[in-house]
Amino acid sequence: MRKKGIAKRAWILLYLLPLALLFGAFFIFPLLFNIYTSLMKWKGGGEMSWNNFSNYGKLLGDDTFLLSMKNNLIWALSQGFIQIPLATIVALILARNPKGWKLMRTVYFLPNVISTVAIAKVWVALYNPQYGAINGLLGIFGIPGKNWLGNTDTALPAIIAMTVIYIGYFMIIILASIMNIPKELYEAAEIDGATTLQQELRITIPMIRGTLATSITLAMAYGMRHFETTYLMTGGGPAYSTSTMGIALFLKMDALRYGEASAAGIILIIMGSLVIAVIRRAIGKADPMTEAAQ
Amino acid sequence: MKADGNKGIGGALRAAAGFAKWAALAFFLLAALLPLFWLVINSFRTNLELETSPLGLPTRLSLENYGNAIVTGDLGRLLLNSVIAAIGSVSLNLIVASMASFILSREKFRGRDAIYTIATAGVLIPIVSFMVPYFWMITKTGLYDKLVSLILTYAAINLPVSISLITTFMRAIPKELEEAAIIDGCGFNQRFAKIIFPLSRSGLATAGTFCFIYAWNEFVMAMLFTSSVSSRTIQLGIRYFTSQFITDYTGMFAAIVLSIIPSILVYVFLHDKIISGLTAGAVKG
Repeated sequence: MRKKGIAKRAWILLYLLPLALLFGAFFIFPLLFNIYTSLMKWKGGGEMSWNNFSNYGKLLGDDTFLLSMKNNLIWALSQGFIQIPLATIVALILARNPKGWKLMRTVYFLPNVISTVAIAKVWVALYNPQYGAINGLLGIFGIPGKNWLGNTDTALPAIIAMTVIYIGYFMIIILASIMNIPKELYEAAEIDGATTLQQELRITIPMIRGTLATSITLAMAYGMRHFETTYLMTGGGPAYSTSTMGIALFLKMDALRYGEASAAGIILIIMGSLVIAVIRRAIGKADPMTEAAQ
Repeated sequence: MKADGNKGIGGALRAAAGFAKWAALAFFLLAALLPLFWLVINSFRTNLELETSPLGLPTRLSLENYGNAIVTGDLGRLLLNSVIAAIGSVSLNLIVASMASFILSREKFRGRDAIYTIATAGVLIPIVSFMVPYFWMITKTGLYDKLVSLILTYAAINLPVSISLITTFMRAIPKELEEAAIIDGCGFNQRFAKIIFPLSRSGLATAGTFCFIYAWNEFVMAMLFTSSVSSRTIQLGIRYFTSQFITDYTGMFAAIVLSIIPSILVYVFLHDKIISGLTAGAVKG
Protein backbone atom coordinates (compact mmCIF):
# COMPACT_ATOMS: atom_id res chain seq x y z
CA MET A 1 0.00 0.00 0.00
CA ARG A 2 2.79 2.40 0.97
CA LYS A 3 4.65 1.81 -2.27
CA LYS A 4 1.53 2.49 -4.26
CA GLY A 5 1.11 5.79 -2.39
CA ILE A 6 4.58 6.91 -3.38
CA ALA A 7 4.03 5.92 -6.99
CA LYS A 8 0.83 7.89 -7.06
CA ARG A 9 2.52 10.92 -5.57
CA ALA A 10 5.16 10.69 -8.28
CA TRP A 11 2.47 10.61 -10.96
CA ILE A 12 0.76 13.64 -9.44
CA LEU A 13 4.01 15.59 -9.50
CA LEU A 14 4.74 14.48 -13.04
CA TYR A 15 1.32 15.66 -14.26
CA LEU A 16 1.80 19.04 -12.60
CA LEU A 17 5.35 19.46 -13.88
CA PRO A 18 4.49 20.96 -17.31
CA LEU A 19 2.24 23.52 -15.63
CA ALA A 20 4.95 24.36 -13.11
CA LEU A 21 7.51 24.88 -15.87
CA LEU A 22 5.34 26.95 -18.22
CA PHE A 23 3.58 28.96 -15.51
CA GLY A 24 6.84 29.42 -13.64
CA ALA A 25 8.63 30.64 -16.75
CA PHE A 26 5.91 33.03 -17.95
CA PHE A 27 4.30 34.29 -14.73
CA ILE A 28 6.45 33.75 -11.62
CA PHE A 29 9.91 34.33 -13.07
CA PRO A 30 8.89 37.47 -15.05
CA LEU A 31 7.31 38.98 -11.95
CA LEU A 32 10.46 38.44 -9.85
CA PHE A 33 12.72 39.51 -12.72
CA ASN A 34 10.63 42.64 -13.23
CA ILE A 35 10.87 43.61 -9.56
CA TYR A 36 14.64 43.01 -9.61
CA THR A 37 15.37 44.95 -12.82
CA SER A 38 13.10 47.81 -11.75
CA LEU A 39 15.71 48.55 -9.08
CA MET A 40 18.65 48.43 -11.46
CA LYS A 41 20.28 50.72 -13.94
CA TRP A 42 20.09 48.55 -17.06
CA LYS A 43 20.17 49.17 -20.79
CA GLY A 44 18.84 45.76 -21.79
CA GLY A 45 22.27 44.32 -22.55
CA GLY A 46 25.38 44.44 -20.41
CA GLU A 47 25.79 45.14 -16.73
CA MET A 48 23.09 45.95 -14.24
CA SER A 49 23.79 48.12 -11.25
CA TRP A 50 21.73 49.10 -8.23
CA ASN A 51 20.47 52.63 -8.55
CA ASN A 52 18.64 53.31 -5.34
CA PHE A 53 15.02 53.44 -6.63
CA SER A 54 15.90 56.20 -9.09
CA ASN A 55 13.91 54.41 -11.85
CA TYR A 56 10.77 54.94 -9.81
CA GLY A 57 11.84 58.47 -8.90
CA LYS A 58 12.39 59.35 -12.55
CA LEU A 59 9.02 57.98 -13.63
CA LEU A 60 7.04 59.65 -10.86
CA GLY A 61 8.81 62.94 -11.53
CA ASP A 62 8.12 62.73 -15.25
CA ASP A 63 5.08 64.69 -16.44
CA THR A 64 4.40 62.41 -19.39
CA PHE A 65 4.35 59.32 -17.14
CA LEU A 66 1.99 61.07 -14.72
CA LEU A 67 -0.21 61.97 -17.69
CA SER A 68 -0.12 58.30 -18.71
CA MET A 69 -1.25 57.26 -15.24
CA LYS A 70 -4.06 59.80 -15.37
CA ASN A 71 -5.10 58.52 -18.80
CA ASN A 72 -5.18 54.96 -17.44
CA LEU A 73 -7.45 56.17 -14.67
CA ILE A 74 -9.74 57.78 -17.26
CA TRP A 75 -9.68 54.50 -19.18
CA ALA A 76 -10.54 52.51 -16.06
CA LEU A 77 -13.40 54.80 -15.07
CA SER A 78 -14.91 54.94 -18.56
CA GLN A 79 -14.73 51.17 -19.00
CA GLY A 80 -16.21 50.55 -15.56
CA PHE A 81 -18.83 53.27 -15.45
CA ILE A 82 -19.80 53.84 -19.10
CA GLN A 83 -19.29 50.47 -20.76
CA ILE A 84 -20.76 48.38 -17.93
CA PRO A 85 -23.97 50.47 -17.59
CA LEU A 86 -24.44 50.30 -21.38
CA ALA A 87 -23.87 46.53 -21.31
CA THR A 88 -26.32 46.23 -18.40
CA ILE A 89 -29.06 48.14 -20.25
CA VAL A 90 -28.74 45.89 -23.29
CA ALA A 91 -28.61 42.77 -21.09
CA LEU A 92 -31.81 43.86 -19.29
CA ILE A 93 -33.58 44.27 -22.61
CA LEU A 94 -32.32 40.97 -24.04
CA ALA A 95 -33.20 39.08 -20.84
CA ARG A 96 -36.88 39.74 -21.59
CA ASN A 97 -36.32 37.71 -24.75
CA PRO A 98 -37.38 40.09 -27.51
CA LYS A 99 -37.58 38.64 -31.00
CA GLY A 100 -34.14 37.54 -32.21
CA TRP A 101 -32.38 38.04 -28.88
CA LYS A 102 -30.10 35.04 -29.35
CA LEU A 103 -28.89 36.25 -32.72
CA MET A 104 -28.40 39.75 -31.34
CA ARG A 105 -26.36 38.36 -28.45
CA THR A 106 -24.13 36.60 -30.96
CA VAL A 107 -23.71 39.75 -33.07
CA TYR A 108 -22.89 41.99 -30.09
CA PHE A 109 -20.00 39.71 -29.18
CA LEU A 110 -18.66 39.44 -32.74
CA PRO A 111 -16.17 42.36 -32.50
CA ASN A 112 -14.58 40.63 -29.51
CA VAL A 113 -13.32 37.75 -31.65
CA ILE A 114 -11.78 40.12 -34.19
CA SER A 115 -8.20 41.22 -33.60
CA THR A 116 -7.39 44.53 -32.00
CA VAL A 117 -5.18 45.30 -34.99
CA ALA A 118 -8.10 44.95 -37.41
CA ILE A 119 -10.52 46.96 -35.23
CA ALA A 120 -7.94 49.67 -34.53
CA LYS A 121 -6.94 50.02 -38.19
CA VAL A 122 -10.57 50.24 -39.29
CA TRP A 123 -11.26 52.97 -36.73
CA VAL A 124 -8.14 54.90 -37.72
CA ALA A 125 -9.61 54.90 -41.22
CA LEU A 126 -13.11 55.80 -39.99
CA TYR A 127 -11.68 58.77 -38.05
CA ASN A 128 -9.43 59.87 -40.92
CA PRO A 129 -10.04 63.56 -41.77
CA GLN A 130 -9.74 63.06 -45.55
CA TYR A 131 -11.61 59.87 -46.35
CA GLY A 132 -13.06 58.69 -43.02
CA ALA A 133 -16.70 57.72 -42.75
CA ILE A 134 -17.22 59.64 -39.48
CA ASN A 135 -16.57 63.03 -41.08
CA GLY A 136 -18.48 61.82 -44.14
CA LEU A 137 -21.52 61.08 -41.97
CA LEU A 138 -21.25 64.37 -40.10
CA GLY A 139 -20.99 66.18 -43.43
CA ILE A 140 -24.43 64.86 -44.41
CA PHE A 141 -25.86 66.73 -41.42
CA GLY A 142 -23.79 69.80 -42.17
CA ILE A 143 -21.49 69.37 -39.19
CA PRO A 144 -17.87 70.24 -39.96
CA GLY A 145 -15.45 67.33 -39.59
CA LYS A 146 -12.46 67.13 -37.31
CA ASN A 147 -9.05 65.54 -37.31
CA TRP A 148 -10.21 63.30 -34.46
CA LEU A 149 -6.99 61.42 -33.74
CA GLY A 150 -4.65 64.28 -34.63
CA ASN A 151 -5.97 66.70 -32.06
CA THR A 152 -4.95 66.65 -28.38
CA ASP A 153 -8.50 67.54 -27.31
CA THR A 154 -10.30 64.81 -29.23
CA ALA A 155 -7.82 61.91 -29.57
CA LEU A 156 -8.36 60.29 -26.16
CA PRO A 157 -12.18 60.64 -26.16
CA ALA A 158 -12.26 59.32 -29.73
CA ILE A 159 -10.36 56.14 -28.84
CA ILE A 160 -12.33 55.58 -25.64
CA ALA A 161 -15.65 56.14 -27.45
CA MET A 162 -14.93 53.39 -29.99
CA THR A 163 -14.05 50.92 -27.24
CA VAL A 164 -16.99 51.50 -24.87
CA ILE A 165 -19.54 50.75 -27.59
CA TYR A 166 -18.20 47.19 -27.90
CA ILE A 167 -20.31 45.93 -25.03
CA GLY A 168 -20.59 42.26 -26.05
CA TYR A 169 -18.16 40.67 -23.60
CA PHE A 170 -19.66 42.04 -20.39
CA MET A 171 -23.20 42.04 -21.78
CA ILE A 172 -23.02 38.24 -22.17
CA ILE A 173 -21.76 37.78 -18.61
CA ILE A 174 -24.44 40.09 -17.17
CA LEU A 175 -27.18 38.54 -19.32
CA ALA A 176 -26.32 35.03 -18.08
CA SER A 177 -26.54 36.26 -14.52
CA ILE A 178 -29.96 37.87 -15.11
CA MET A 179 -31.31 34.70 -16.70
CA ASN A 180 -30.39 32.82 -13.51
CA ILE A 181 -32.83 34.84 -11.40
CA PRO A 182 -35.87 32.71 -10.49
CA LYS A 183 -38.86 33.67 -12.66
CA GLU A 184 -41.21 33.48 -9.65
CA LEU A 185 -39.81 36.73 -8.28
CA TYR A 186 -41.04 38.58 -11.34
CA GLU A 187 -44.41 36.84 -11.33
CA ALA A 188 -44.99 37.96 -7.75
CA ALA A 189 -43.99 41.53 -8.61
CA GLU A 190 -46.27 41.48 -11.63
CA ILE A 191 -49.22 40.55 -9.43
CA ASP A 192 -48.33 43.43 -7.10
CA GLY A 193 -48.57 45.74 -10.12
CA ALA A 194 -44.88 46.63 -10.41
CA THR A 195 -43.91 48.15 -13.75
CA THR A 196 -41.07 46.71 -15.82
CA LEU A 197 -38.75 49.51 -14.72
CA GLN A 198 -39.62 48.92 -11.06
CA GLN A 199 -38.98 45.20 -11.48
CA GLU A 200 -35.55 45.84 -13.00
CA LEU A 201 -34.57 48.30 -10.27
CA ARG A 202 -35.93 46.34 -7.31
CA ILE A 203 -35.35 42.75 -8.37
CA THR A 204 -32.86 42.41 -11.22
CA ILE A 205 -30.19 44.92 -10.22
CA PRO A 206 -29.98 43.76 -6.56
CA MET A 207 -29.93 40.11 -7.67
CA ILE A 208 -27.01 40.62 -10.10
CA ARG A 209 -25.05 42.88 -7.76
CA GLY A 210 -22.20 40.40 -7.48
CA THR A 211 -21.85 40.01 -11.25
CA LEU A 212 -22.00 43.78 -11.75
CA ALA A 213 -19.28 44.26 -9.14
CA THR A 214 -17.12 41.65 -10.87
CA SER A 215 -17.74 43.21 -14.28
CA ILE A 216 -16.89 46.72 -13.11
CA THR A 217 -13.76 45.42 -11.39
CA LEU A 218 -12.62 43.54 -14.49
CA ALA A 219 -13.46 46.38 -16.86
CA MET A 220 -11.48 48.80 -14.71
CA ALA A 221 -8.57 46.37 -14.44
CA TYR A 222 -8.54 46.15 -18.25
CA GLY A 223 -8.63 49.95 -18.41
CA MET A 224 -5.59 50.18 -16.14
CA ARG A 225 -3.58 47.89 -18.41
CA HIS A 226 -4.80 49.46 -21.66
CA PHE A 227 -2.11 49.45 -24.33
CA GLU A 228 -2.83 47.83 -27.66
CA THR A 229 -5.63 49.85 -29.26
CA THR A 230 -4.03 53.18 -28.43
CA TYR A 231 -0.60 52.00 -29.49
CA LEU A 232 -2.01 51.00 -32.86
CA MET A 233 -4.17 54.09 -33.36
CA THR A 234 -1.99 56.96 -32.17
CA GLY A 235 1.15 55.48 -30.60
CA GLY A 236 0.35 57.61 -27.55
CA GLY A 237 0.27 60.90 -29.46
CA PRO A 238 -0.38 63.62 -30.35
CA ALA A 239 1.96 65.15 -27.75
CA TYR A 240 1.51 62.12 -25.41
CA SER A 241 -2.17 63.09 -24.98
CA THR A 242 -3.29 59.44 -25.37
CA SER A 243 -0.30 57.79 -23.68
CA THR A 244 -0.87 55.07 -21.09
CA MET A 245 1.49 53.33 -18.65
CA GLY A 246 1.84 50.45 -21.11
CA ILE A 247 2.84 52.84 -23.87
CA ALA A 248 5.30 54.62 -21.57
CA LEU A 249 6.80 51.22 -20.73
CA PHE A 250 7.14 50.37 -24.40
CA LEU A 251 8.74 53.72 -25.26
CA LYS A 252 11.25 53.33 -22.41
CA MET A 253 12.17 49.90 -23.78
CA ASP A 254 12.55 51.39 -27.23
CA ALA A 255 14.91 54.00 -25.75
CA LEU A 256 16.93 51.17 -24.11
CA ARG A 257 15.96 52.32 -20.62
CA TYR A 258 15.09 48.82 -19.45
CA GLY A 259 15.32 49.62 -15.76
CA GLU A 260 12.75 52.38 -16.06
CA ALA A 261 10.59 50.19 -18.30
CA SER A 262 10.59 47.49 -15.60
CA ALA A 263 9.65 50.06 -12.98
CA ALA A 264 6.77 51.22 -15.19
CA GLY A 265 5.65 47.57 -15.34
CA ILE A 266 5.71 47.27 -11.56
CA ILE A 267 3.77 50.53 -11.14
CA LEU A 268 1.24 49.19 -13.67
CA ILE A 269 0.82 45.97 -11.67
CA ILE A 270 0.45 47.87 -8.38
CA MET A 271 -2.05 50.37 -9.83
CA GLY A 272 -4.06 47.52 -11.35
CA SER A 273 -4.14 45.61 -8.05
CA LEU A 274 -5.13 48.79 -6.18
CA VAL A 275 -8.07 49.36 -8.51
CA ILE A 276 -9.24 45.79 -7.99
CA ALA A 277 -8.89 46.09 -4.19
CA VAL A 278 -10.62 49.48 -3.98
CA ILE A 279 -13.54 48.55 -6.20
CA ARG A 280 -14.09 45.26 -4.43
CA ARG A 281 -14.08 47.08 -1.11
CA ALA A 282 -16.46 49.74 -2.44
CA ILE A 283 -19.08 47.70 -4.27
CA GLY A 284 -18.93 44.35 -2.63
CA LYS A 285 -17.31 41.00 -3.02
CA ALA A 286 -16.77 39.40 -6.36
CA ASP A 287 -14.81 36.56 -7.80
CA PRO A 288 -12.79 37.82 -10.75
CA MET A 289 -10.69 34.68 -10.99
CA THR A 290 -13.41 32.33 -12.12
CA GLU A 291 -15.34 34.91 -14.05
CA ALA A 292 -12.44 36.20 -16.08
CA ALA A 293 -12.82 33.36 -18.51
CA GLN A 294 -11.01 35.21 -21.28
CA MET B 1 -57.68 46.10 -16.50
CA LYS B 2 -55.75 48.76 -14.64
CA ALA B 3 -57.74 51.31 -12.72
CA ASP B 4 -55.91 54.46 -13.84
CA GLY B 5 -57.81 56.72 -16.14
CA ASN B 6 -54.88 58.04 -18.20
CA LYS B 7 -54.87 55.22 -20.71
CA GLY B 8 -53.74 57.58 -23.46
CA ILE B 9 -50.66 58.79 -21.62
CA GLY B 10 -49.85 55.29 -20.40
CA GLY B 11 -50.09 53.99 -23.94
CA ALA B 12 -47.88 56.77 -25.30
CA LEU B 13 -45.32 56.13 -22.58
CA ARG B 14 -45.31 52.45 -23.35
CA ALA B 15 -44.86 53.14 -27.05
CA ALA B 16 -41.97 55.49 -26.27
CA ALA B 17 -40.35 52.87 -24.02
CA GLY B 18 -40.74 50.29 -26.77
CA PHE B 19 -39.13 52.61 -29.27
CA ALA B 20 -36.25 53.43 -26.90
CA LYS B 21 -35.71 49.71 -26.33
CA TRP B 22 -35.38 48.89 -30.01
CA ALA B 23 -33.34 52.04 -30.66
CA ALA B 24 -30.82 50.92 -28.01
CA LEU B 25 -30.61 47.41 -29.44
CA ALA B 26 -30.21 48.79 -32.97
CA PHE B 27 -27.52 51.28 -31.97
CA PHE B 28 -25.23 48.59 -30.56
CA LEU B 29 -25.94 46.25 -33.47
CA LEU B 30 -24.87 49.01 -35.86
CA ALA B 31 -21.82 49.77 -33.70
CA ALA B 32 -20.80 46.12 -33.97
CA LEU B 33 -21.52 45.69 -37.66
CA LEU B 34 -21.21 49.01 -39.56
CA PRO B 35 -17.42 49.41 -39.20
CA LEU B 36 -17.03 45.86 -40.54
CA PHE B 37 -19.40 46.50 -43.46
CA TRP B 38 -17.50 49.69 -44.28
CA LEU B 39 -14.26 47.71 -44.19
CA VAL B 40 -15.53 44.97 -46.49
CA ILE B 41 -17.14 47.42 -48.95
CA ASN B 42 -13.98 49.50 -49.25
CA SER B 43 -11.77 46.45 -49.64
CA PHE B 44 -13.36 46.19 -53.11
CA ARG B 45 -12.90 49.87 -54.00
CA THR B 46 -9.88 51.81 -55.22
CA ASN B 47 -7.99 54.30 -53.09
CA LEU B 48 -9.21 57.11 -55.36
CA GLU B 49 -12.85 56.08 -54.90
CA LEU B 50 -12.34 55.94 -51.14
CA GLU B 51 -10.82 59.40 -50.99
CA THR B 52 -13.46 61.05 -53.17
CA SER B 53 -16.49 59.46 -51.49
CA PRO B 54 -15.84 57.70 -48.17
CA LEU B 55 -19.43 56.50 -47.89
CA GLY B 56 -19.76 55.30 -51.47
CA LEU B 57 -20.45 51.79 -52.69
CA PRO B 58 -18.15 49.80 -54.97
CA THR B 59 -18.73 50.50 -58.64
CA ARG B 60 -17.53 47.06 -59.69
CA LEU B 61 -16.69 43.86 -57.88
CA SER B 62 -12.93 43.94 -58.23
CA LEU B 63 -10.67 41.49 -56.46
CA GLU B 64 -7.62 43.54 -57.40
CA ASN B 65 -6.95 44.67 -53.82
CA TYR B 66 -7.00 41.07 -52.65
CA GLY B 67 -4.58 40.01 -55.36
CA ASN B 68 -2.24 42.86 -54.48
CA ALA B 69 -2.46 42.12 -50.77
CA ILE B 70 -1.65 38.46 -51.21
CA VAL B 71 1.26 39.03 -53.62
CA THR B 72 2.93 42.21 -52.36
CA GLY B 73 2.09 41.65 -48.71
CA ASP B 74 3.23 38.01 -48.86
CA LEU B 75 0.00 37.19 -47.04
CA GLY B 76 0.15 33.47 -47.78
CA ARG B 77 3.33 33.16 -45.74
CA LEU B 78 1.99 35.33 -42.91
CA LEU B 79 -1.29 33.41 -42.72
CA LEU B 80 0.65 30.14 -42.59
CA ASN B 81 2.79 31.50 -39.74
CA SER B 82 -0.35 32.50 -37.85
CA VAL B 83 -1.86 29.06 -38.36
CA ILE B 84 1.31 27.40 -37.02
CA ALA B 85 1.47 29.73 -34.01
CA ALA B 86 -2.21 29.26 -33.22
CA ILE B 87 -2.37 25.48 -33.63
CA GLY B 88 0.95 25.00 -31.83
CA SER B 89 -0.06 27.09 -28.86
CA VAL B 90 -3.55 25.57 -28.61
CA SER B 91 -2.07 22.04 -28.61
CA LEU B 92 0.58 22.84 -26.01
CA ASN B 93 -1.88 24.78 -23.86
CA LEU B 94 -4.46 21.98 -23.88
CA ILE B 95 -1.91 19.25 -23.08
CA VAL B 96 -0.43 21.16 -20.14
CA ALA B 97 -3.76 22.47 -18.85
CA SER B 98 -5.60 19.15 -19.14
CA MET B 99 -2.86 17.22 -17.33
CA ALA B 100 -2.81 19.74 -14.49
CA SER B 101 -6.60 20.05 -14.39
CA PHE B 102 -6.90 16.26 -14.13
CA ILE B 103 -4.85 16.38 -10.93
CA LEU B 104 -6.50 19.53 -9.60
CA SER B 105 -10.00 18.17 -10.13
CA ARG B 106 -9.66 14.45 -9.34
CA GLU B 107 -6.93 14.09 -6.70
CA LYS B 108 -6.84 15.23 -3.10
CA PHE B 109 -3.58 16.41 -1.55
CA ARG B 110 -2.23 19.25 0.52
CA GLY B 111 -1.62 22.43 -1.44
CA ARG B 112 -4.00 21.54 -4.25
CA ASP B 113 -6.29 24.51 -3.73
CA ALA B 114 -3.31 26.83 -3.42
CA ILE B 115 -1.96 25.64 -6.79
CA TYR B 116 -5.36 26.16 -8.40
CA THR B 117 -5.71 29.65 -6.93
CA ILE B 118 -2.24 30.74 -8.04
CA ALA B 119 -2.63 29.28 -11.54
CA THR B 120 -6.02 30.93 -12.13
CA ALA B 121 -5.01 34.22 -10.47
CA GLY B 122 -2.67 34.64 -13.44
CA VAL B 123 -5.54 36.42 -15.25
CA LEU B 124 -5.15 39.29 -12.81
CA ILE B 125 -1.61 39.99 -14.03
CA PRO B 126 -1.42 42.64 -16.76
CA ILE B 127 0.69 40.81 -19.33
CA VAL B 128 1.69 44.17 -20.86
CA SER B 129 3.85 44.74 -17.77
CA PHE B 130 5.92 41.66 -18.70
CA MET B 131 7.27 43.07 -21.96
CA VAL B 132 10.77 43.54 -20.49
CA PRO B 133 11.21 40.08 -18.90
CA TYR B 134 9.57 38.29 -21.85
CA PHE B 135 11.80 40.05 -24.35
CA TRP B 136 14.89 39.28 -22.26
CA MET B 137 13.90 35.61 -21.87
CA ILE B 138 13.18 35.15 -25.57
CA THR B 139 16.44 36.73 -26.73
CA LYS B 140 18.54 34.96 -24.05
CA THR B 141 17.18 31.53 -25.00
CA GLY B 142 17.82 32.11 -28.69
CA LEU B 143 14.13 31.95 -29.58
CA TYR B 144 14.03 35.48 -31.01
CA ASP B 145 12.43 35.64 -34.47
CA LYS B 146 11.28 32.02 -34.20
CA LEU B 147 7.65 30.97 -34.15
CA VAL B 148 8.37 28.74 -31.13
CA SER B 149 8.66 31.89 -29.01
CA LEU B 150 5.05 32.77 -29.83
CA ILE B 151 3.80 29.20 -29.38
CA LEU B 152 5.29 29.00 -25.86
CA THR B 153 4.13 32.47 -24.86
CA TYR B 154 0.55 32.13 -26.12
CA ALA B 155 0.18 28.67 -24.56
CA ALA B 156 1.46 29.99 -21.22
CA ILE B 157 -0.59 33.20 -21.17
CA ASN B 158 -3.78 31.18 -21.69
CA LEU B 159 -3.05 28.69 -18.90
CA PRO B 160 -5.08 30.52 -16.19
CA VAL B 161 -8.21 30.61 -18.38
CA SER B 162 -7.80 27.03 -19.60
CA ILE B 163 -7.08 25.63 -16.12
CA SER B 164 -10.17 27.39 -14.77
CA LEU B 165 -12.45 26.14 -17.57
CA ILE B 166 -11.11 22.58 -17.77
CA THR B 167 -10.89 22.00 -14.01
CA THR B 168 -14.48 23.18 -13.58
CA PHE B 169 -15.52 20.83 -16.36
CA MET B 170 -13.60 17.81 -15.02
CA ARG B 171 -14.99 18.28 -11.50
CA ALA B 172 -18.45 17.60 -12.89
CA ILE B 173 -17.54 14.15 -14.24
CA PRO B 174 -19.14 11.53 -11.93
CA LYS B 175 -16.71 9.64 -9.64
CA GLU B 176 -18.42 6.33 -10.43
CA LEU B 177 -17.09 6.26 -13.99
CA GLU B 178 -13.53 6.41 -12.70
CA GLU B 179 -14.12 3.94 -9.88
CA ALA B 180 -15.48 1.38 -12.30
CA ALA B 181 -12.39 1.81 -14.44
CA ILE B 182 -10.05 1.43 -11.45
CA ILE B 183 -11.76 -1.86 -10.58
CA ASP B 184 -11.18 -2.94 -14.18
CA GLY B 185 -7.48 -2.36 -13.57
CA CYS B 186 -6.99 1.07 -15.13
CA GLY B 187 -3.80 2.76 -13.92
CA PHE B 188 -3.14 6.43 -13.37
CA ASN B 189 -2.32 7.21 -16.98
CA GLN B 190 -5.23 5.23 -18.34
CA ARG B 191 -7.64 7.03 -16.03
CA PHE B 192 -6.50 10.26 -17.65
CA ALA B 193 -6.08 9.12 -21.23
CA LYS B 194 -9.05 6.75 -21.52
CA ILE B 195 -11.65 8.31 -19.25
CA ILE B 196 -11.20 11.87 -18.05
CA PHE B 197 -9.57 13.34 -21.16
CA PRO B 198 -12.14 11.99 -23.65
CA LEU B 199 -15.06 12.88 -21.35
CA SER B 200 -13.78 16.46 -21.12
CA ARG B 201 -13.83 17.06 -24.88
CA SER B 202 -16.44 19.78 -24.61
CA GLY B 203 -14.52 21.69 -21.93
CA LEU B 204 -11.30 21.25 -23.89
CA ALA B 205 -13.00 22.61 -27.00
CA THR B 206 -14.11 25.73 -25.11
CA ALA B 207 -10.63 26.32 -23.68
CA GLY B 208 -9.06 25.60 -27.06
CA THR B 209 -11.39 28.08 -28.78
CA PHE B 210 -10.40 30.86 -26.39
CA CYS B 211 -6.73 30.04 -26.84
CA PHE B 212 -7.06 29.94 -30.64
CA ILE B 213 -8.78 33.32 -30.82
CA TYR B 214 -6.17 34.83 -28.51
CA ALA B 215 -3.26 33.38 -30.48
CA TRP B 216 -4.71 34.30 -33.87
CA ASN B 217 -5.34 37.90 -32.81
CA GLU B 218 -2.29 38.53 -30.64
CA PHE B 219 -0.16 41.48 -31.67
CA VAL B 220 2.11 42.86 -28.92
CA MET B 221 4.30 39.80 -28.33
CA ALA B 222 4.44 39.06 -32.04
CA MET B 223 5.77 42.58 -32.54
CA LEU B 224 8.37 42.16 -29.76
CA PHE B 225 9.59 38.66 -30.60
CA THR B 226 9.78 38.61 -34.40
CA SER B 227 11.47 40.70 -37.05
CA SER B 228 11.60 38.85 -40.37
CA VAL B 229 8.86 37.72 -42.74
CA SER B 230 9.75 34.07 -42.00
CA SER B 231 8.19 34.34 -38.52
CA ARG B 232 5.86 37.33 -38.97
CA THR B 233 2.19 36.68 -38.20
CA ILE B 234 -0.77 38.09 -40.10
CA GLN B 235 -1.60 40.67 -37.41
CA LEU B 236 1.85 42.15 -37.75
CA GLY B 237 1.57 41.98 -41.52
CA ILE B 238 -1.51 44.21 -41.49
CA ARG B 239 0.42 46.79 -39.55
CA TYR B 240 3.32 46.77 -42.00
CA PHE B 241 0.90 47.48 -44.81
CA THR B 242 0.47 51.15 -44.09
CA SER B 243 4.18 51.76 -43.76
CA GLN B 244 5.13 49.63 -46.77
CA PHE B 245 2.60 51.08 -49.15
CA ILE B 246 1.74 54.34 -47.55
CA THR B 247 -1.19 55.17 -49.79
CA ASP B 248 -2.66 51.68 -50.25
CA TYR B 249 -5.47 51.80 -47.70
CA THR B 250 -7.87 49.64 -49.64
CA GLY B 251 -5.13 47.03 -50.08
CA MET B 252 -4.73 47.01 -46.32
CA PHE B 253 -8.50 46.63 -45.97
CA ALA B 254 -8.36 43.53 -48.16
CA ALA B 255 -5.58 42.14 -45.97
CA ILE B 256 -7.63 42.87 -42.84
CA VAL B 257 -10.66 41.11 -44.31
CA LEU B 258 -8.52 38.04 -45.05
CA SER B 259 -7.15 38.10 -41.49
CA ILE B 260 -10.64 38.27 -40.00
CA ILE B 261 -12.13 35.36 -41.96
CA PRO B 262 -10.67 32.61 -39.71
CA SER B 263 -11.93 34.38 -36.57
CA ILE B 264 -15.40 34.75 -38.07
CA LEU B 265 -15.45 31.08 -39.13
CA VAL B 266 -14.41 29.93 -35.66
CA TYR B 267 -17.08 32.18 -34.18
CA VAL B 268 -19.82 30.99 -36.51
CA PHE B 269 -19.15 27.34 -35.70
CA LEU B 270 -18.15 27.64 -32.04
CA HIS B 271 -20.04 30.65 -30.64
CA ASP B 272 -21.99 28.34 -28.32
CA LYS B 273 -18.70 27.19 -26.78
CA ILE B 274 -17.52 30.77 -26.40
CA ILE B 275 -20.74 31.96 -24.79
CA SER B 276 -20.89 28.96 -22.44
CA GLY B 277 -17.26 29.54 -21.48
CA LEU B 278 -17.95 33.19 -20.71
CA THR B 279 -21.04 32.44 -18.68
CA ALA B 280 -19.56 29.52 -16.71
CA GLY B 281 -18.28 31.97 -14.12
CA ALA B 282 -21.30 34.26 -14.10
CA VAL B 283 -23.57 31.42 -13.11
CA LYS B 284 -21.41 30.73 -10.09
CA GLY B 285 -21.16 34.35 -8.96
